[in-house]
Amino acid sequence: MSNVHSGHYGREIRVAWAIAVKDMRTYYTKPPSLMFGILFPFSLFLSFSIGRNMPLATQIPILISQTLFFASSSIGPVVIPMERANQTFDRFLTSPVLLFSILLGKTLAGIIYGAGISVIPVLVGVAFFGSQIVNIGAMIACFALSSLAFSALGIMFASIPGQTPGQVMMPLNFVRIPLLFISGVFTPIGELPTWMQAVSMLSPLTHTVELAKYASGAETFFGPVLNTAILGAYAAAFLFMGIRFHIMNQRKE
Amino acid sequence: MDHINFEVKKGEVFGFLGPNGAGKTTTIRMLTGISIPTEGTATIMGYDIENQSIEAKEQMGIVPDVSNVYNELSAWDNLIFTGKLYDMPKAYREKRAEELLRMFGLLERCKEKVQGFSRGMKRRICLAMALMNRSHILFLDEPTSGLDVQSVLVIRDLIRRLNEQGLTVFLTTHNIEEASQMCDHVAIINHGKLAVIDTPEKLKRTVENLQSVEVAFETVSQGMLKELREFPNVSNVVKEGDKFRLITNDPPSVLASTWNYAQKNNLRLITVNTLGPSLEDVFVKLTGIKPTVAGEEGNDRMKAQEMPGRIAKQ
Repeated sequence: MSNVHSGHYGREIRVAWAIAVKDMRTYYTKPPSLMFGILFPFSLFLSFSIGRNMPLATQIPILISQTLFFASSSIGPVVIPMERANQTFDRFLTSPVLLFSILLGKTLAGIIYGAGISVIPVLVGVAFFGSQIVNIGAMIACFALSSLAFSALGIMFASIPGQTPGQVMMPLNFVRIPLLFISGVFTPIGELPTWMQAVSMLSPLTHTVELAKYASGAETFFGPVLNTAILGAYAAAFLFMGIRFHIMNQRKE
Repeated sequence: MDHINFEVKKGEVFGFLGPNGAGKTTTIRMLTGISIPTEGTATIMGYDIENQSIEAKEQMGIVPDVSNVYNELSAWDNLIFTGKLYDMPKAYREKRAEELLRMFGLLERCKEKVQGFSRGMKRRICLAMALMNRSHILFLDEPTSGLDVQSVLVIRDLIRRLNEQGLTVFLTTHNIEEASQMCDHVAIINHGKLAVIDTPEKLKRTVENLQSVEVAFETVSQGMLKELREFPNVSNVVKEGDKFRLITNDPPSVLASTWNYAQKNNLRLITVNTLGPSLEDVFVKLTGIKPTVAGEEGNDRMKAQEMPGRIAKQ
C-alpha cells in the first residue's frame, strides 16, 4: 500500500516538475515577466533609495525583499492567463494529475524565478557595497519561504478569470503596492505608530524584509521565529486558497 | 446543460451535433474534467470523472476546438511534454513521439517551433498529443473546422483508421455531412437539451416527408426562386450554388412540375436528381434553425449565420 502511495506521490512530483520546467522555458523571457518581475522592483527601489541618506549596504536587504516579492509573485499572473487564452491550461486539467500538482508546478516556476533573480542583489551587495550575510540559514529561510509564499500569492490571484496578464496584474498590484508602505520597506517598523506595527505584522512582506535584515546582521522588530512562522503560514494559506479558487472557477464554467 | 443522459458504446464513433451555443463544448468540458458540473455524474470507461478523475483521464485523449499547442516549443517538445504529463517513461515517450510524428508526416520538421506551422499542421500536432498516451477514447471538438481540404482528409482518414483499431471517438462537429459519413450514432443537442440520439440512417427515416428534387437549369432568371416556390407539393426551396433543391413529400409530382416549367419557359435542364432526406434535414427540423430572409430574391441577404442558402417557403 505504501508503495502505491509513494509511486502516486512520485508521479505527482514528476509532473509538477515537468510543468515548472516547461513554464521556465516558455514564460521567463516574456515581456510581462521581465517587466513585472525585474524592472518593476528595481525601478521602485531606485526611485525610493536615490537621495536617501542611508548607506547602500543597509538597503540591500530591502532590494532583496522587493525583488523576491515582485519576481516570485509575477510568474503565475503571467503564465496562467496566457495559458487560459491559448487553452493550454486545459491540457493540465485534462491530464491525469491532481490540481494541487498543477498549481505546485506553477508555484515552483515562480519560486525559481523569484529566488534566482533575487540572488543578484545579494551578490552585488556582497561584492560591491560591503553588505554581509552573517546568518546564512536565515537568508536561506528568507529565500525559500518568501519565494514560496509570494509565488503562491501570484497563483492565487491568477485564479481571477482573465485571459491577459494585465487582468490579473492590476488587482495584484492593488494589493502589492500598498504592502510596500506597511512592511518596513520605506520606514523601519520600530518607527511606525503602534497600530501600524500591528498591521505590518499581517503583511507577509514585513517578514521577508525582517528575515533579510536579520541575515545581514541588522536588528529586527518581530524576530526570526515569528517571521518564519508567519511566512510559512501565508505560504500554506495562499496555496490552499489558490486551489479553492481554481476549483470554484471550474464549477463556474 | 439540462439533465442530458446518454451512453457511448465502446469502439464506436459518436457524433454530438448542435447549433452554436447548444452546449456541445460545455458537454466535452464536463466529460473531460475541465469544468465541474453542478450536478450529475459522468463515467469514462467505468471511471467517474469527478471521483476517479485520474483513472478516467488516463483513458482519454482530447482535441479541443482550438489547437492548444505550445507555440514556443517544437513539435517534438510538445509531444514529449504531453508524455511527461502522463508520466510516461523517457524511452517510451520518445519512441511514441517519433511514431506519431512519422504517422502525421511531421517528423522532418519536428525540431522547428510550432509558431510557424500552418493551422492544419498545428491540428495534426494536437491530434498527435491526444494520442500520446494510447488513449481508449478520443474527444474531438470540431476537429476539421477551418482546415484546408488536405488536412481534413488526413484527419478524417486517421480517425477512421484509429476507430477500426478499436478507439472510441466522441466527435462534435458542425459538419453534418461529416457526422453522417463517420458516426455510428449521433446525438442532436439544442438549448442544453438532448433532442434525439440514434443512428444517422434511422434519423433520416424519421423525416421521410423531407425528400427533395434537385434541379439545375442552364440559365437562371430573375424570379425563378419565387416561381419554384409556387409548385404544388413543395414545402421548401433551397438554393444551393447553381442548383435548386425542392423539398417535397411527392417527388414524382415535383418532377412533372419541373419538366412543365422548363418546357413553358424554354429552359434547358442540366441536372435532375431525387434525393432522400439528409441528416442536415433532421438537424434543421429538430433544432428549428431558420435563416432570416431580409428581402426578395436577388437582393436577399441571409442574416442568419447558420445554414446559409436555405430559404423557407413563405
